[in-house]
Amino acid sequence: MFEFFNQSEVIKVIIIIGSMSIFFVGLFGLVTQKHIIKTFISIAIMESSVFLLFIGLSYKQSFLAPILTDGQQNFNNMNDPIPQAMILTAIVIGMAVLALGVSFAIEYYKLTGKTDIDEMTTLKG
Amino acid sequence: MSLKRDLPTSTISGFALSASLILTILNILLHNIPNNIQTAGDELLKLNATEGVANAVTTVVVYFRGFDTLGEIAVLFIASLGLGLMLDENKQCDLKAKSNFMLQTASKLLFPIIMLFGIYVMVYGHLSPGGGFQGGVIIASGILLLLISFNEFEVPHSVVSLLEIFAGASYVIIGLIGLLVLDRFLGNFLPNDISNMGMLLSGGIIPIIYIIVGIKVGSEMSVISENLIKRCEDV
Repeated sequence: MFEFFNQSEVIKVIIIIGSMSIFFVGLFGLVTQKHIIKTFISIAIMESSVFLLFIGLSYKQSFLAPILTDGQQNFNNMNDPIPQAMILTAIVIGMAVLALGVSFAIEYYKLTGKTDIDEMTTLKG
Repeated sequence: MSLKRDLPTSTISGFALSASLILTILNILLHNIPNNIQTAGDELLKLNATEGVANAVTTVVVYFRGFDTLGEIAVLFIASLGLGLMLDENKQCDLKAKSNFMLQTASKLLFPIIMLFGIYVMVYGHLSPGGGFQGGVIIASGILLLLISFNEFEVPHSVVSLLEIFAGASYVIIGLIGLLVLDRFLGNFLPNDISNMGMLLSGGIIPIIYIIVGIKVGSEMSVISENLIKRCEDV
Protein backbone atom coordinates (compact mmCIF):
# COMPACT_ATOMS: atom_id res chain seq x y z
CA MET A 1 0.00 0.00 0.00
CA PHE A 2 3.02 2.29 0.28
CA GLU A 3 4.04 2.15 -3.39
CA PHE A 4 2.23 5.43 -3.96
CA PHE A 5 4.56 7.21 -1.53
CA ASN A 6 7.62 5.70 -3.19
CA GLN A 7 7.36 7.86 -6.31
CA SER A 8 9.86 10.66 -6.67
CA GLU A 9 7.36 13.49 -7.11
CA VAL A 10 5.22 12.35 -4.18
CA ILE A 11 8.28 12.28 -1.90
CA LYS A 12 9.26 15.78 -2.98
CA VAL A 13 5.76 17.16 -2.44
CA ILE A 14 5.66 15.56 1.02
CA ILE A 15 9.04 17.13 1.86
CA ILE A 16 7.89 20.55 0.63
CA ILE A 17 4.58 20.44 2.50
CA GLY A 18 6.25 19.19 5.69
CA SER A 19 9.05 21.74 5.74
CA MET A 20 6.64 24.52 4.81
CA SER A 21 4.34 23.60 7.68
CA ILE A 22 7.32 23.66 10.07
CA PHE A 23 8.19 27.08 8.62
CA PHE A 24 4.68 28.35 9.30
CA VAL A 25 4.79 26.97 12.85
CA GLY A 26 7.90 29.11 13.40
CA LEU A 27 6.33 32.13 11.69
CA PHE A 28 3.20 31.76 13.83
CA GLY A 29 5.35 31.77 16.96
CA LEU A 30 7.28 34.78 15.71
CA VAL A 31 4.06 36.75 15.07
CA THR A 32 2.13 35.82 18.21
CA GLN A 33 4.68 35.40 21.00
CA LYS A 34 5.96 38.45 22.85
CA HIS A 35 8.68 36.85 25.02
CA ILE A 36 12.07 37.52 23.42
CA ILE A 37 13.54 34.03 23.96
CA LYS A 38 10.42 32.50 22.39
CA THR A 39 11.08 34.76 19.40
CA PHE A 40 14.59 33.36 19.05
CA ILE A 41 13.30 29.79 19.34
CA SER A 42 10.76 30.54 16.58
CA ILE A 43 13.54 31.78 14.31
CA ALA A 44 15.47 28.55 15.03
CA ILE A 45 12.42 26.48 14.06
CA MET A 46 12.11 28.40 10.78
CA GLU A 47 15.81 27.76 10.09
CA SER A 48 15.40 24.03 10.67
CA SER A 49 12.58 23.92 8.12
CA VAL A 50 14.89 25.45 5.52
CA PHE A 51 17.55 22.82 6.32
CA LEU A 52 14.99 20.05 5.84
CA LEU A 53 13.89 21.51 2.52
CA PHE A 54 17.46 21.71 1.16
CA ILE A 55 18.44 18.20 2.21
CA GLY A 56 15.15 16.71 1.10
CA LEU A 57 15.14 18.29 -2.35
CA SER A 58 18.72 17.18 -3.01
CA TYR A 59 17.74 13.56 -2.38
CA LYS A 60 17.49 11.46 -5.52
CA GLN A 61 15.82 8.11 -5.46
CA SER A 62 17.94 4.92 -5.66
CA PHE A 63 21.06 7.06 -5.26
CA LEU A 64 23.47 6.41 -2.41
CA ALA A 65 25.00 8.61 0.25
CA PRO A 66 28.25 10.12 -1.10
CA ILE A 67 30.55 7.92 0.98
CA LEU A 68 32.60 5.02 -0.37
CA THR A 69 32.11 1.86 1.65
CA ASP A 70 33.12 -1.76 1.10
CA GLY A 71 32.81 -3.02 -2.44
CA GLN A 72 32.40 0.38 -4.12
CA GLN A 73 35.05 1.65 -6.48
CA ASN A 74 33.81 5.00 -7.77
CA PHE A 75 31.41 7.82 -7.01
CA ASN A 76 28.82 6.97 -9.65
CA ASN A 77 25.13 7.09 -8.71
CA MET A 78 25.68 9.08 -5.55
CA ASN A 79 23.79 12.03 -4.16
CA ASP A 80 24.96 15.61 -4.50
CA PRO A 81 27.35 16.46 -1.61
CA ILE A 82 27.11 20.25 -1.99
CA PRO A 83 23.72 20.81 -0.27
CA GLN A 84 24.83 18.67 2.67
CA ALA A 85 28.07 20.64 3.06
CA MET A 86 26.21 23.96 2.79
CA ILE A 87 23.64 22.93 5.38
CA LEU A 88 26.47 21.87 7.69
CA THR A 89 27.76 25.44 7.43
CA ALA A 90 24.30 26.91 7.93
CA ILE A 91 23.62 24.83 11.06
CA VAL A 92 26.81 26.08 12.72
CA ILE A 93 26.07 29.71 11.81
CA GLY A 94 22.48 29.36 13.09
CA MET A 95 23.74 27.96 16.38
CA ALA A 96 26.18 30.85 16.80
CA VAL A 97 23.48 33.43 16.06
CA LEU A 98 21.06 31.76 18.52
CA ALA A 99 23.65 31.64 21.32
CA LEU A 100 24.64 35.28 20.82
CA GLY A 101 21.00 36.42 20.68
CA VAL A 102 20.14 34.55 23.87
CA SER A 103 23.12 36.13 25.63
CA PHE A 104 21.91 39.59 24.54
CA ALA A 105 18.44 38.76 25.86
CA ILE A 106 19.87 37.62 29.22
CA GLU A 107 21.96 40.77 29.55
CA TYR A 108 18.99 43.01 28.62
CA TYR A 109 16.90 41.26 31.27
CA LYS A 110 19.65 41.82 33.84
CA LEU A 111 19.81 45.54 33.02
CA THR A 112 16.12 46.39 32.71
CA GLY A 113 14.08 43.42 33.95
CA LYS A 114 12.03 43.27 30.74
CA THR A 115 11.40 40.27 28.50
CA ASP A 116 8.42 41.57 26.51
CA ILE A 117 9.43 42.87 23.10
CA ASP A 118 6.62 45.42 23.14
CA GLU A 119 8.17 47.08 26.21
CA MET A 120 11.64 47.38 24.69
CA THR A 121 11.22 51.03 23.73
CA THR A 122 14.45 52.42 25.15
CA LEU A 123 15.70 53.71 21.80
CA LYS A 124 12.36 55.19 20.72
CA GLY A 125 12.99 58.59 22.28
CA MET B 1 -3.51 36.82 24.95
CA SER B 2 -6.24 35.59 22.74
CA LEU B 3 -5.59 34.39 19.24
CA LYS B 4 -8.59 36.24 17.87
CA ARG B 5 -7.29 39.68 18.77
CA ASP B 6 -3.81 39.18 17.33
CA LEU B 7 -4.59 37.30 14.14
CA PRO B 8 -7.68 38.42 12.25
CA THR B 9 -9.29 36.20 9.67
CA SER B 10 -7.84 38.13 6.76
CA THR B 11 -4.30 37.42 7.98
CA ILE B 12 -4.95 33.70 8.31
CA SER B 13 -6.60 33.51 4.91
CA GLY B 14 -3.71 35.51 3.44
CA PHE B 15 -1.24 33.00 4.86
CA ALA B 16 -3.26 30.11 3.48
CA LEU B 17 -3.58 31.75 0.06
CA SER B 18 0.15 32.48 -0.24
CA ALA B 19 1.03 28.98 0.96
CA SER B 20 -1.22 27.37 -1.64
CA LEU B 21 0.19 29.64 -4.38
CA ILE B 22 3.77 28.71 -3.46
CA LEU B 23 2.82 25.04 -3.41
CA THR B 24 1.27 25.31 -6.87
CA ILE B 25 4.33 27.03 -8.31
CA LEU B 26 6.68 24.47 -6.75
CA ASN B 27 4.53 21.65 -8.09
CA ILE B 28 4.76 23.04 -11.62
CA LEU B 29 8.54 23.46 -11.23
CA LEU B 30 8.99 19.93 -9.89
CA HIS B 31 7.14 18.38 -12.82
CA ASN B 32 9.47 20.07 -15.28
CA ILE B 33 12.77 18.89 -13.74
CA PRO B 34 14.55 16.48 -16.10
CA ASN B 35 15.68 13.25 -14.57
CA ASN B 36 19.41 13.35 -15.15
CA ILE B 37 20.28 16.98 -14.67
CA GLN B 38 23.99 17.81 -14.51
CA THR B 39 24.91 19.71 -11.35
CA ALA B 40 28.09 21.10 -9.88
CA GLY B 41 28.04 18.27 -7.37
CA ASP B 42 28.60 15.70 -10.11
CA GLU B 43 31.77 17.49 -11.20
CA LEU B 44 32.93 17.63 -7.58
CA LEU B 45 32.20 13.92 -7.17
CA LYS B 46 34.48 13.23 -10.14
CA LEU B 47 37.16 15.52 -8.67
CA ASN B 48 36.74 13.91 -5.26
CA ALA B 49 38.25 10.65 -6.45
CA THR B 50 41.57 12.39 -7.02
CA GLU B 51 41.96 13.34 -3.36
CA GLY B 52 41.74 9.86 -1.87
CA VAL B 53 39.03 10.58 0.71
CA ALA B 54 36.10 8.20 0.99
CA ASN B 55 33.58 10.76 2.31
CA ALA B 56 32.70 13.26 -0.40
CA VAL B 57 30.97 15.67 2.00
CA THR B 58 34.19 15.94 4.01
CA THR B 59 36.15 16.74 0.87
CA VAL B 60 33.69 19.47 -0.08
CA VAL B 61 33.62 21.01 3.41
CA VAL B 62 37.34 20.85 4.21
CA TYR B 63 39.07 20.96 0.83
CA PHE B 64 36.99 22.50 -1.96
CA ARG B 65 35.35 24.97 0.43
CA GLY B 66 38.18 25.01 2.97
CA PHE B 67 38.54 28.78 3.01
CA ASP B 68 34.82 29.06 3.73
CA THR B 69 35.21 26.67 6.68
CA LEU B 70 37.99 28.89 8.04
CA GLY B 71 35.55 31.81 7.97
CA GLU B 72 32.91 29.67 9.63
CA ILE B 73 35.25 28.84 12.49
CA ALA B 74 35.97 32.56 12.79
CA VAL B 75 32.22 33.25 13.06
CA LEU B 76 31.92 30.63 15.81
CA PHE B 77 34.90 32.15 17.62
CA ILE B 78 33.40 35.65 17.42
CA ALA B 79 30.07 34.35 18.79
CA SER B 80 31.86 32.64 21.68
CA LEU B 81 33.88 35.79 22.34
CA GLY B 82 30.81 38.02 22.35
CA LEU B 83 28.93 35.66 24.63
CA GLY B 84 31.87 35.57 27.03
CA LEU B 85 32.06 39.36 27.03
CA MET B 86 28.33 39.70 27.73
CA LEU B 87 28.00 37.09 30.48
CA ASP B 88 31.39 37.08 32.20
CA GLU B 89 30.56 39.09 35.32
CA ASN B 90 29.15 36.59 37.80
CA LYS B 91 31.41 33.66 37.11
CA GLN B 92 31.90 32.53 40.73
CA CYS B 93 28.24 31.73 41.37
CA ASP B 94 26.98 28.18 41.67
CA LEU B 95 23.99 26.59 40.05
CA LYS B 96 20.75 27.01 41.92
CA ALA B 97 19.63 23.38 41.90
CA LYS B 98 21.84 20.73 43.46
CA SER B 99 22.29 17.61 41.39
CA ASN B 100 21.51 14.30 43.05
CA PHE B 101 23.61 11.20 43.61
CA MET B 102 22.30 9.26 40.62
CA LEU B 103 23.17 12.01 38.14
CA GLN B 104 26.69 12.31 39.56
CA THR B 105 27.37 8.56 39.41
CA ALA B 106 25.92 8.20 35.92
CA SER B 107 27.89 11.14 34.59
CA LYS B 108 31.13 9.68 36.04
CA LEU B 109 30.29 6.48 34.19
CA LEU B 110 29.21 8.11 30.93
CA PHE B 111 31.76 10.89 30.54
CA PRO B 112 34.71 8.75 29.27
CA ILE B 113 32.44 6.95 26.80
CA ILE B 114 31.08 10.23 25.43
CA MET B 115 34.60 11.62 25.05
CA LEU B 116 35.77 8.44 23.32
CA PHE B 117 32.82 8.55 20.92
CA GLY B 118 33.44 12.21 20.14
CA ILE B 119 37.10 11.58 19.38
CA TYR B 120 36.14 8.60 17.22
CA VAL B 121 33.66 10.70 15.20
CA MET B 122 36.33 13.41 14.81
CA VAL B 123 39.16 11.12 13.70
CA TYR B 124 37.07 9.03 11.30
CA GLY B 125 35.44 12.09 9.69
CA HIS B 126 36.99 11.35 6.30
CA LEU B 127 35.79 7.74 6.21
CA SER B 128 32.32 7.71 7.74
CA PRO B 129 29.44 10.10 8.46
CA GLY B 130 30.54 12.66 11.00
CA GLY B 131 33.54 14.89 11.26
CA GLY B 132 34.98 17.78 13.17
CA PHE B 133 31.82 19.77 13.81
CA GLN B 134 29.80 16.77 14.97
CA GLY B 135 32.61 15.32 17.09
CA GLY B 136 33.31 18.68 18.68
CA VAL B 137 29.67 19.09 19.65
CA ILE B 138 29.64 15.55 21.14
CA ILE B 139 32.69 16.41 23.27
CA ALA B 140 31.01 19.64 24.38
CA SER B 141 27.93 17.64 25.40
CA GLY B 142 30.17 15.57 27.68
CA ILE B 143 31.50 18.77 29.25
CA LEU B 144 27.89 19.98 29.65
CA LEU B 145 27.06 16.74 31.50
CA LEU B 146 29.89 17.46 33.94
CA LEU B 147 28.71 21.06 34.33
CA ILE B 148 25.17 20.07 35.32
CA SER B 149 26.37 17.24 37.58
CA PHE B 150 29.13 18.81 39.66
CA ASN B 151 28.65 22.33 40.94
CA GLU B 152 32.36 22.82 41.62
CA PHE B 153 33.41 21.80 38.09
CA GLU B 154 34.85 24.51 35.89
CA VAL B 155 36.15 24.37 32.35
CA PRO B 156 39.96 24.81 32.58
CA HIS B 157 40.30 28.12 30.78
CA SER B 158 44.07 28.07 30.34
CA VAL B 159 43.93 24.66 28.60
CA VAL B 160 40.93 25.68 26.46
CA SER B 161 42.51 28.95 25.31
CA LEU B 162 45.77 27.13 24.48
CA LEU B 163 43.79 24.57 22.44
CA GLU B 164 41.93 27.32 20.57
CA ILE B 165 45.15 29.20 19.79
CA PHE B 166 46.81 25.99 18.60
CA ALA B 167 43.87 24.96 16.43
CA GLY B 168 43.24 28.32 14.79
CA ALA B 169 46.93 28.98 14.14
CA SER B 170 47.64 25.52 12.73
CA TYR B 171 44.69 25.78 10.32
CA VAL B 172 46.15 28.96 8.82
CA ILE B 173 49.71 27.57 8.89
CA ILE B 174 48.70 24.40 7.04
CA GLY B 175 46.94 26.56 4.45
CA LEU B 176 50.02 28.74 4.01
CA ILE B 177 52.30 25.69 3.68
CA GLY B 178 49.99 24.52 0.92
CA LEU B 179 50.37 27.93 -0.71
CA LEU B 180 54.18 27.66 -0.55
CA VAL B 181 54.58 24.03 -1.59
CA LEU B 182 51.79 23.89 -4.17
CA ASP B 183 50.04 26.65 -6.05
CA ARG B 184 47.08 27.46 -3.81
CA PHE B 185 45.90 28.08 -0.25
CA LEU B 186 45.13 24.78 1.52
CA GLY B 187 46.84 22.74 -1.19
CA ASN B 188 47.08 19.05 -0.37
CA PHE B 189 50.84 18.69 0.08
CA LEU B 190 50.85 15.46 2.08
CA PRO B 191 50.69 12.09 0.25
CA ASN B 192 47.13 11.42 -0.87
CA ASP B 193 47.32 8.25 -2.90
CA ILE B 194 44.06 6.88 -4.29
CA SER B 195 45.16 3.31 -3.50
CA ASN B 196 44.96 4.15 0.22
CA MET B 197 41.33 5.29 -0.05
CA GLY B 198 39.36 3.98 2.92
CA MET B 199 42.36 3.62 5.23
CA LEU B 200 42.75 5.73 8.36
CA LEU B 201 45.94 7.36 7.04
CA SER B 202 44.70 8.68 3.72
CA GLY B 203 43.68 11.92 2.13
CA GLY B 204 46.73 14.02 3.04
CA ILE B 205 45.83 17.14 5.01
CA ILE B 206 42.05 16.64 4.97
CA PRO B 207 41.70 14.49 8.16
CA ILE B 208 44.25 16.68 9.96
CA ILE B 209 42.24 19.82 9.19
CA TYR B 210 39.00 18.16 10.28
CA ILE B 211 40.58 17.12 13.61
CA ILE B 212 41.73 20.74 14.08
CA VAL B 213 38.18 21.94 13.37
CA GLY B 214 36.91 19.43 15.94
CA ILE B 215 39.27 20.69 18.64
CA LYS B 216 38.25 24.28 17.96
CA VAL B 217 34.50 23.58 17.89
CA GLY B 218 34.67 21.41 21.03
CA SER B 219 36.49 24.02 23.10
CA GLU B 220 34.29 26.87 21.88
CA MET B 221 31.05 24.97 22.53
CA SER B 222 32.27 24.02 26.03
CA VAL B 223 32.98 27.66 26.84
CA ILE B 224 29.57 28.72 25.45
CA SER B 225 27.77 26.12 27.59
CA GLU B 226 29.69 27.15 30.69
CA ASN B 227 28.95 30.82 30.11
CA LEU B 228 25.25 30.16 29.63
CA ILE B 229 24.87 27.83 32.61
CA LYS B 230 26.92 29.61 35.31
CA ARG B 231 25.00 32.66 36.34
CA CYS B 232 23.81 34.21 39.57
CA GLU B 233 20.13 34.22 40.40
CA ASP B 234 20.23 37.69 41.94
CA VAL B 235 18.59 39.59 39.08
